[in-house]
Amino acid sequence: MMVAPLVIPFGRPDWVAVAPLFVVGLAALVVVLADLFLPRLIRRGAAIVVGVAGLAVAGVLAIGGWSHPFSAFGGGFVVGGFTVVFEEIVLVAAIFSLLMSYRLGREDQTGGAVALMLWSTCGALLMAGAASLMTVFLGLELLSLSLYCLCGLAPRATARESALKYLILSSTASGVMLYGMALLFGATGSVAFAALANPVASSALLDIGAGLFLIGIAFKLSLVPFHVWAPDVYEGAPLPVTAFMSVVTKAGTLAVFARFAYAALPSAAGHALLAPIWLLAAISMIVGNVGALAQTDMKRLLAYSGIAQVGYIVAAMAGTTTYGLRYAIFYLGAYTFMNLGAFAVVALLSREHEEGSRLQAFAGLGHRSPVLAAAMTFFLLALAGLPPTAGFTGKVLILASAVGAGYTWLAGLLVVGTAISIYVYMKIVRTMYARTTGAPLVRAATPANALPWIGVGVCVLATLVLGFYPLAPSDVLPLVR
Amino acid sequence: MIWALVLIPIVVGFGLFAFPRRAEGAAKWTAVLAAGVTLALTFAAGNAPDETGSWLQRPFVATFHVGLGSGISYWLVLLTALATACALIGMQVPRQRSFAAQMLLLQGTMTGLFVARDLLLFALFWDLMLIPVFLVMIGRSASPTSAWKYLIYNVSGGLALLLATAAYGIVAGTTDVLASTTPPVLAATAAPWIFAGFALAFAVKTPIWPLHTWMPETYADLPSPMAATVAAIQSKAGLYGFIVVGLGVFGDRMHAVAPLFIVLGAIGLVYGALVALIEDDIKLVIAYSSLSHLGLIVIAVFSFDPVALGGAVVYIVAHGLFTAALFIVAGQLEAREETRLLSRLGGLGARNPRLAGAFTIAALAALGLPGLCGFAGELLIITGLLRTGAVWPTIVALIAIVLAAAYFLRAFQVAMQGPERRDVPQRPDMGFVEGLALAPLVVAIVLLGIDPAPVMGSTKPLATFAQVSPPIQRVGEVRR
Repeated sequence: MMVAPLVIPFGRPDWVAVAPLFVVGLAALVVVLADLFLPRLIRRGAAIVVGVAGLAVAGVLAIGGWSHPFSAFGGGFVVGGFTVVFEEIVLVAAIFSLLMSYRLGREDQTGGAVALMLWSTCGALLMAGAASLMTVFLGLELLSLSLYCLCGLAPRATARESALKYLILSSTASGVMLYGMALLFGATGSVAFAALANPVASSALLDIGAGLFLIGIAFKLSLVPFHVWAPDVYEGAPLPVTAFMSVVTKAGTLAVFARFAYAALPSAAGHALLAPIWLLAAISMIVGNVGALAQTDMKRLLAYSGIAQVGYIVAAMAGTTTYGLRYAIFYLGAYTFMNLGAFAVVALLSREHEEGSRLQAFAGLGHRSPVLAAAMTFFLLALAGLPPTAGFTGKVLILASAVGAGYTWLAGLLVVGTAISIYVYMKIVRTMYARTTGAPLVRAATPANALPWIGVGVCVLATLVLGFYPLAPSDVLPLVR
Repeated sequence: MIWALVLIPIVVGFGLFAFPRRAEGAAKWTAVLAAGVTLALTFAAGNAPDETGSWLQRPFVATFHVGLGSGISYWLVLLTALATACALIGMQVPRQRSFAAQMLLLQGTMTGLFVARDLLLFALFWDLMLIPVFLVMIGRSASPTSAWKYLIYNVSGGLALLLATAAYGIVAGTTDVLASTTPPVLAATAAPWIFAGFALAFAVKTPIWPLHTWMPETYADLPSPMAATVAAIQSKAGLYGFIVVGLGVFGDRMHAVAPLFIVLGAIGLVYGALVALIEDDIKLVIAYSSLSHLGLIVIAVFSFDPVALGGAVVYIVAHGLFTAALFIVAGQLEAREETRLLSRLGGLGARNPRLAGAFTIAALAALGLPGLCGFAGELLIITGLLRTGAVWPTIVALIAIVLAAAYFLRAFQVAMQGPERRDVPQRPDMGFVEGLALAPLVVAIVLLGIDPAPVMGSTKPLATFAQVSPPIQRVGEVRR
């Protein structure tokens, strides 16, 4: 009697497709192990170095997917131009966040925190290529579970509030999303996005399922009215974690949303299902910017600003046009650099026992530390959509795609939201440069950690160059094979 | 070559921040040199060919297309460099290094606006030139209100311009249209909305009554050298937009809204003159006189008469020259007497005759004395208006010209003549450097007054803009 040979249904290409994930995951393991054996003095440095190296290697490996589109694991994870772009954005954001993380947690916590951040990155990478509901959920939970721990890391009461709030609200949203997934499975008999486009059962089931799924997405994107968690969670979390969340969570979720909107929803019915999302994007652009007006804490302010910025990105996809997707990705890339640049400046203002996130920390910065103030001004100009930055070019492209898709009202509201945001961002510029009578004009003390300077430099360069050479990826479709 | 005109001031401006803080004199004269070099280069670049480069391919074509093509750009770039150089020479402000840097950045961005031949590039510089002004206002003014007013008004206009530009690009397929003699004609459904966006931005910037409320505070709060370049040049951006973008691209739309803008221009013309007549702050007198004069130019632009348009361009340049001179003199006055209020001044002419003389020349040019530049522009505009048979705008314009004589002579009389005030500090008369700051402007004022033909002649292409053919309907395609 012959024993049937054990067949592994996946071949080498499948594993190559997810190689970046494995590299990042392994780097996290190395960080944890190294933390056990290395002397105290170099633990923190080693964690950062290993983490950044792992992310960089993953970034190089991920590029391979550009020229070799492949549908791995029976369609669960798709590699192609779209996936690569989102993977790179996630990896770059993770690297910048790690550069700020040298003093993340106590000395004996840093290694673990870095590892958690790397595992969280794995989740986002999985979401970037996820083309079935199962992979989406896997990626989302991997991303979120690590973040629940990271949010509560700081030794203060708001940190516990942050972690608990995020845990409860995010889990609820995941539950809603999971229920939606179940209904979608019921309607189509499949969890693959490709199958959702050709439903067999009644469309009511499909509609409700897709609606619940989209509500979950809107929560993770912090679109109004599912945004209330964001400012509190951002404020309580340690600064590098806030920076990480502000880009990585959004990038991963946007990848899922884009793939779902473009590939899974049949075009005619999909239009009707997605219409509320464009409306939410419009409301987010206004509410986010109005909410940011009164903030005096940079993390809360950037949380509200992030709500508005995601509104812009989603607005670019209104009407699900090909070029809209392209410019949404471009703006997401631009946002990554300008937002993380701003966070890096805040990190440089931080001291051993105090994060420099109070708006007051910026008072007189233009006189104390002119280079840092100039960099911050540049990032704020970019966030406000003023030239000569990628934010300006990105906004033009979003306006053009919204008008081109017939959503002129959305473009109009974007302009109104941007006008409000001018005050939000320029208020910080004023704080830095205004001659306040009582402000001591002393040079800044050396920052607790000089690594974020790398982030500031790279972000300035990228934000400037992308403004004049808008590298909107052309090869992002098809999303599902 | 043309990009050099934009980039030299910007690069030198940023370079000034590398100077030591105490090297104020070196920074100032480096800045003057940079402005002077761009001035000389502009003279040399009169016939330079256009330069271009690719920016966007999709969803519409946008380029880094710059040129000095139509004459108005050339004269405005010259004016920008000249006024900046003069204002820099005469400046008396604290922290000169950073101020000189901001002046150069402002010069570079305004030059960029005037040489842009692509609508998106135009929109980029439109927003960019606000930033140095805003930074100077928040860094140097005690109250932030005027800075916010300036920024919010102008950025709102700029965003309307940006939306209109993006929509134009989508509908027409390209924004590289300002050098084209046959720009794409838009579908009748889209054109009015797109033009409305442009017109709003231009109207805020000019400013046209009732959107002018940011202007007086801005001019009063800015340090005088920057007030000089903002009032002399940045305010011309709106009129430049109406002429080059409006007449060049939206000819038929301009005709449709002409009555509205002529009425608004006339209101601004009279309102500005009346306020200037009673205002006590000398900078506000100049600011409101500006509102009045700009109203006259708006009427001229919307009359579509070639002579009036030629006059408008002459008057745009002339107004730039004498407004810059007036603000520089006002700055010197303020630095001397530590007040700008006419009611606190008096009898300066006896003590500071050179200062009084400089003020006289600038004021006479502003009130339209024959032989100086203001007169040349006004005469051409009035002639043009009469040619079109527009009688009542002509009458309104004449009233305002008479009022201009009244408010400038009043300012001169109160500040320079009459009994000497004992309670204002005794100060020496204008020195050599201060004179040097005004001399080039005075020479230009006289030259343009004697022979406005070169500037006037530069508007020949504009005459063809004004005669607009009926629009051809064409539905644009979206490039994907």
